[in-house]
Amino acid sequence: MTSLNDTEFIVRTIAQTAVDNEKYFGDLDSVVGDGDFGFSLARGFEIVLKDWDSYDRTDIGTFLQKVGITITGRIGGTSGPIWGTAFLRSAAVAKGRGDELGGADAVTMLRSAIEGIMARGGASLGDKTLLDALAPLTDAIEQGVANGDGGAAVMASAAASARAAADATTPMIAKRGRAAYTGERSIGSPDAGAVAVAVIAEALASSWGAKDDASSASESPGSDSPNSDYAI
Amino acid sequence: MKKFVNDPQQFVPEMLKGLALANPDTLKYVPEYNLIMRADAPRADKVSIVQGSGSGHEPAHVMAVGPGMLDAACPGDVFAAPPMDYVYETTKLLNSPKGVLLLVNNYTGDRMAFDMAQELSLADGVNVKTLFIDDDVAVKDSTWTVGRRGVAGNFFVIKAVGAAAEAGADLDELMRIGEKVVSVTRSMGLALTACTPPAKGAPLFELGDDEIEIGVGIHGEPGRRRAKIVPANELVDILLEPVVADLPYVSGDRVALMVNGLGGTPISELYLVYGIAHEKLAAQGITVARSYVGEYCTSLDMAGASITLVKLDDEIEGLLAAPAEIGARIF
Repeated sequence: MTSLNDTEFIVRTIAQTAVDNEKYFGDLDSVVGDGDFGFSLARGFEIVLKDWDSYDRTDIGTFLQKVGITITGRIGGTSGPIWGTAFLRSAAVAKGRGDELGGADAVTMLRSAIEGIMARGGASLGDKTLLDALAPLTDAIEQGVANGDGGAAVMASAAASARAAADATTPMIAKRGRAAYTGERSIGSPDAGAVAVAVIAEALASSWGAKDDASSASESPGSDSPNSDYAI
Repeated sequence: MKKFVNDPQQFVPEMLKGLALANPDTLKYVPEYNLIMRADAPRADKVSIVQGSGSGHEPAHVMAVGPGMLDAACPGDVFAAPPMDYVYETTKLLNSPKGVLLLVNNYTGDRMAFDMAQELSLADGVNVKTLFIDDDVAVKDSTWTVGRRGVAGNFFVIKAVGAAAEAGADLDELMRIGEKVVSVTRSMGLALTACTPPAKGAPLFELGDDEIEIGVGIHGEPGRRRAKIVPANELVDILLEPVVADLPYVSGDRVALMVNGLGGTPISELYLVYGIAHEKLAAQGITVARSYVGEYCTSLDMAGASITLVKLDDEIEGLLAAPAEIGARIF
């Protein structure tokens, strides 16, 4: 198992989940926003899937950068700049580090992505954005790595944290994006971006075990240590 | 919901193709970037004026391309800011020796896309400046957002800087004029019904038969509050009072008054609203010197209206009166 493989698995799962949940994410956004979130995200990640084979895979950083450029450049709405910045900031951490990154690196990449999103969107924690799910997710991964948990266990814990955090955006008042224009009326529904983070984390958690099984079946015996770090 | 639509993903490209086919001598359509531009742009003797924003606001902004108005419009999908690449490529295509002015309605996504595109274009040596338009008084209390939204008032900014650009003004002068128009323009809208984006196929929110949504923007997002419908006289008060109070406009002012339809209100109702608003302003000593009634910046098929006022001085009035021609016309 290499971390580049893991990275590809993660990015592909994010992309596929975004495409599969277009209507659900759009409906969430239309409660107080304008309903374009699901459409924008799906159209962008469709391009990522279409261009999949063409991305430079010299190392993890390069691969993530290429994906980030597609997302930043080609996804409209607020999703392109926000999600693209997350990929580009993660890529910058991984750049030149080859294709064997560990759990601690993944945490650093996620922290860098979070800082990038804050800078790009001018948002803080508690503003009722995807950050409110992404930060607890990252905390859970950091804790799991510190505990020496395996990849599947870490992802399961990260998904649970992201889901709880996404649910916890329901009583918040939106302070960024179009939902913010409705002020107090944004209270009572979860943030669409935070829910998207939770749904993606759950998709990763549920398929993580199958990924490792498939990976070990296709590689020579012994290449896949049960203690190997998950990638990002 | 019944609509003229094939594939929702092709809604915007098919609309733009129709617009180009209807104006073969004056407009050019660049499908790779959803770009609508004047056939003769860019011109070396004038600053290129570019407006971007989501689609669904027609005639803003793709139908506002023409002499004395925009040189190009770069729309995103319905209600979504254009992707950064589209803005970047548009800026390069419209590059003129006198520079490029980007007009952007103030929304998070648009700000981010245009900020990033401007950064890349400047690095390429394009002389580009960006002007943000934020005329909507409905969200003045949302100090934690990126500020007020840009709504129908953007038409006056386009008209004024478009006229000045046509007359040869340089980029700094256009920024000065644009900022001045923004500073004296205020709008407020209300919805009688929600709108239905093609990709969603259902109304964005549910309004009872006797309910109105007050303080809506132009993206179908809910407004500040909901209320029971009242007679037109009182609806005009709901729109006009916060607009007049915000700048404020005062007795003795000369103004341009726009009654803008949000896409699903008959012109007859808009003129009814206009008449009431005109008389209410006159009663306050405010003179309506220029009148605009119709659809300028819509929210797809939303029934409703917005009122915009612009405080006039000789310079702004002259620029608004200058000739202009756009693709959207009724004869």
